[in-house]
Amino acid sequence: MLRMSNEIVYISIMLLHNRIAVLRAEKKLSRAKLASSVGVNPQTIGFLERGDYTPSLELAFKIAEHFGLPVEAVFSPRPFRTLSEQVYKLHKREA
Amino acid sequence: MPVDMNNINNASNERSWLWRKIGFWFVPVRTETLGPEQWANVRKMSRTGKRRTRRLLFALLLVPVLAFEIAVSLRLVRLDPWAGLMSTAWLTVLLGLWVRSLRIGFAQVSLEDRAVMEYGAEFDALKEKQRGQLFQRAVRDGLFGRVKIDEHEAERRLQAQAAAYRLLGPALVVFVAGYWGVCLFGPFEATRHALAVTAVVVTWLAALVLAAPTMIRMWTQPDDPGETAAVAE
Repeated sequence: MLRMSNEIVYISIMLLHNRIAVLRAEKKLSRAKLASSVGVNPQTIGFLERGDYTPSLELAFKIAEHFGLPVEAVFSPRPFRTLSEQVYKLHKREA
Repeated sequence: MPVDMNNINNASNERSWLWRKIGFWFVPVRTETLGPEQWANVRKMSRTGKRRTRRLLFALLLVPVLAFEIAVSLRLVRLDPWAGLMSTAWLTVLLGLWVRSLRIGFAQVSLEDRAVMEYGAEFDALKEKQRGQLFQRAVRDGLFGRVKIDEHEAERRLQAQAAAYRLLGPALVVFVAGYWGVCLFGPFEATRHALAVTAVVVTWLAALVLAAPTMIRMWTQPDDPGETAAVAE
């Protein structure tokens, strides 16, 4: 929320949850390599992973495209369930 | 050709303590002659701005630096107005360069990340010559301000500028009020009229600064798009 001059302007900053750290670990991809392929500084990837920064739509799509996944598989307004939980539920459904 | 680390260490140890600790930052040397001690220093220094506590210290350092600058300029201006002007201009340029280097530091990529981006390998895995070239490029880019301003960096800058402007508004109002107070009630009978003229100018300058963002928006905002014909009632 930001307070600007006399008018009170509420800007809700929605921080997106993301799976970048997990996907990077999965692909053994360094911060710097991902950064250079999506055209940002490595520190920006760090801020994204820590949830300190919400990317632009353009950057979100670039990152999703880099991992070959739809954007909603990488970014979500709600917290992601853990991958192990998802895999377990999928197996249970198939069984 | 493999690098003989013993030769490098010997070449580094033969130099003076001052060179090994500080001098190598400023003296143009072949970076292949940097020893492990200097590389450790270089990497430590390149990470200085990454810690918030250190950045806070740098921000607080601005207060004594400004106080020193004002004290020097006031002393000189009493002796000779031209000397005051010169010292103020010179110290302001130095301060500007310092702030510029801090700003560049935010966007600079660490040596470790740079190694991965440019050579696709960890910094420790690079050859001595590659490390030297990487370091020289990093220093050169830092000096010339050749850093990548990505969307995160641009947004942080805008946020900082907006916050600074929000502080500037009330500060300018207080300053103008104080200036008028000094002009009207200060012990300056002989120059009161001349001072009042400067107060008018200062007031209008402050008003201009405070009105500038709205004026810029008035000038640049495109026409409000109306509802499309297909939807309009």
